[in-house]
Amino acid sequence: MSNTPIISARGLTKSFLSGDRRIEVLRGVDLEVAAGESVSIRGESGSGKSTLLNLLSGLDAPDTGTLAWAGAPVEADRRAAFLGIVFQSFYLIPEIDALANVLMASRIIQVPGAAERARAKELIARVGLQERATHLPAQLSGGERQRVAVARALMNSPKLILADEPTGNLDEHTGDAVIDLLLGLCRETGTALVLVTHNAAHAAKCARGLRLRDGRFV
Amino acid sequence: MPWYLYLALKQLFPSGRKFPFFTVISMLGVALGVMLLVVATSVMGGFGYQIRQMIVDTQGEVQLRDRGFIEDVGALQKKVAQVPGVVATTPFAEGVVMLQCDRKPAFPVIQGVDLDSVTKVIPLDRYIRVGNLSDLDDDSIILSSKLALSIGARIGSKVEVYSPLLLERMKNDEVLLPRQLTVVGIFEIGHQQLDSSVVLVTLRLMQDLYGLGHAVHGVNVKIAEGADPDRVAGAINRSMGAQSTVQAKSWIDANEDFLFVLQLEKNMIFFLLTFIIIVAAFSVMSSLLISVVRKTREIGLLGALGGKPRHVAACFCFQGFLIGLGGTVGGLAMGFGALALRNDAIRIFTQLTGSEEVLARFYQFSQLPSHPVRGDIIMIIVCSIVISTLAGLIPAWRAARLKPVEALRSE
Repeated sequence: MSNTPIISARGLTKSFLSGDRRIEVLRGVDLEVAAGESVSIRGESGSGKSTLLNLLSGLDAPDTGTLAWAGAPVEADRRAAFLGIVFQSFYLIPEIDALANVLMASRIIQVPGAAERARAKELIARVGLQERATHLPAQLSGGERQRVAVARALMNSPKLILADEPTGNLDEHTGDAVIDLLLGLCRETGTALVLVTHNAAHAAKCARGLRLRDGRFV
Repeated sequence: MPWYLYLALKQLFPSGRKFPFFTVISMLGVALGVMLLVVATSVMGGFGYQIRQMIVDTQGEVQLRDRGFIEDVGALQKKVAQVPGVVATTPFAEGVVMLQCDRKPAFPVIQGVDLDSVTKVIPLDRYIRVGNLSDLDDDSIILSSKLALSIGARIGSKVEVYSPLLLERMKNDEVLLPRQLTVVGIFEIGHQQLDSSVVLVTLRLMQDLYGLGHAVHGVNVKIAEGADPDRVAGAINRSMGAQSTVQAKSWIDANEDFLFVLQLEKNMIFFLLTFIIIVAAFSVMSSLLISVVRKTREIGLLGALGGKPRHVAACFCFQGFLIGLGGTVGGLAMGFGALALRNDAIRIFTQLTGSEEVLARFYQFSQLPSHPVRGDIIMIIVCSIVISTLAGLIPAWRAARLKPVEALRSE
């Protein structure tokens, strides 16, 4: 395995205008995540966790600082294959069933073939939704939806998964199950994980824990 | 299938939903516009086609006339027969007479036809409803159907014909008795005006009534199948030589203004009815815009998953295209269905409103004609699909401009 970190951020800053005021959300964040490593980020609401995740995923650009994915510059075209994202609100496409939602991650890169379909089915089975594969998101519970979202994030065998409070909309028991599943799958597949969470118990399950306060790691 | 086309299809026809309400309503709007366009252009085309057919059936495709009379019609016919594209010729004479049956007068146009050659040029026998064209001789007459009805004449009735020659003779204190003719046939072309004001006699009788001697008023010409009437008319004029006063005119040339008005009416109706599709397209646009707002977070998700803005735009454009396509197919089916049932619908409507006579009197036809033209239908299909696809452009542009981060944050 190469020593190049999967993700490397140096001196990331980000501010937003709120009326006439400029609010500095991130004030020079440094972060390196190694291949297969799981990192938790905790912090109070407004501490900049989601903003940091948006920068790490390349969905937003930092004001200053540098960011590299596996040593290479961040490019939107690489995102689909390089990383998977799990959101707090699941964001499944309501018009298509669970299996098609998982396959959607692959479909965005290329028209799926038999191998991709087989992988989607395998992932659906792996998250325990074999019987629910043809169900629409509206027919699934919150926990089941998040498991579909986890399978979708893993569909393209990414190097990194960014999970933004994935248990925020779930009850404690279901949340625990989802985190165990996510960590287990990442371990199995050697996928690095950056987990943003409020939950100390979930954060403790990761190999490394970070705390963000006022836009800096403390 | 690329993801944006797949998703467009799924958004229009979601899995597990039996009746995609939004899609069907949007398509129905387009379909109604297409249906109206198909029906209106086909009926207008039908009116035009029937009028053209009637002109050709009653005048031939090319007509020769002199400034006055054509004296040596035999020589003229021989000369014209040698022109390439000419199949047959028939001389005619025409005018106005007073006709009386049991003291009921009428003032029809009288046509003198040459029995030996007329059917080679004009399919008159096709329009004879009662009697036979072969029964026509110098002592008989064939009446148009509504004229016969109005004066109460039937087969075997005697009618008296007063020609303008009578008036000429009266000036010289001569007394000329009207010609008494026997009705041997009744014809109906299907055009109100012709069916109520034309009578047919032999050419010899017409020459006698008008004192023409052997002269005629003109010659009708039938041309070969597929030949261009204007070209044949030009060739006949060239064969006549520069000195000749006889002039050949194609039916298109002779009715140029009338045909122009017909085409103009049809184009105007097409133009006006296209606005129905434009209105439907605005409703499609509005629905797609609402869809963009409703699906803001899904659009953000697609961006986060790696979807390119142009593909997000293509997804919404394709929805507009599919609505246009579906609406057009539905509209064509509804339009042709309505055309197939048009006469039943008109019959029921006129029976209910008691307006059968009015329809025939004002529109000249006993049935609503229809003649769909391939070019018109293709134009309707192209316009409808292009307009509907364009309706998807603004929603597509809005969707493509959404930044994934902001879209995912939206409430």
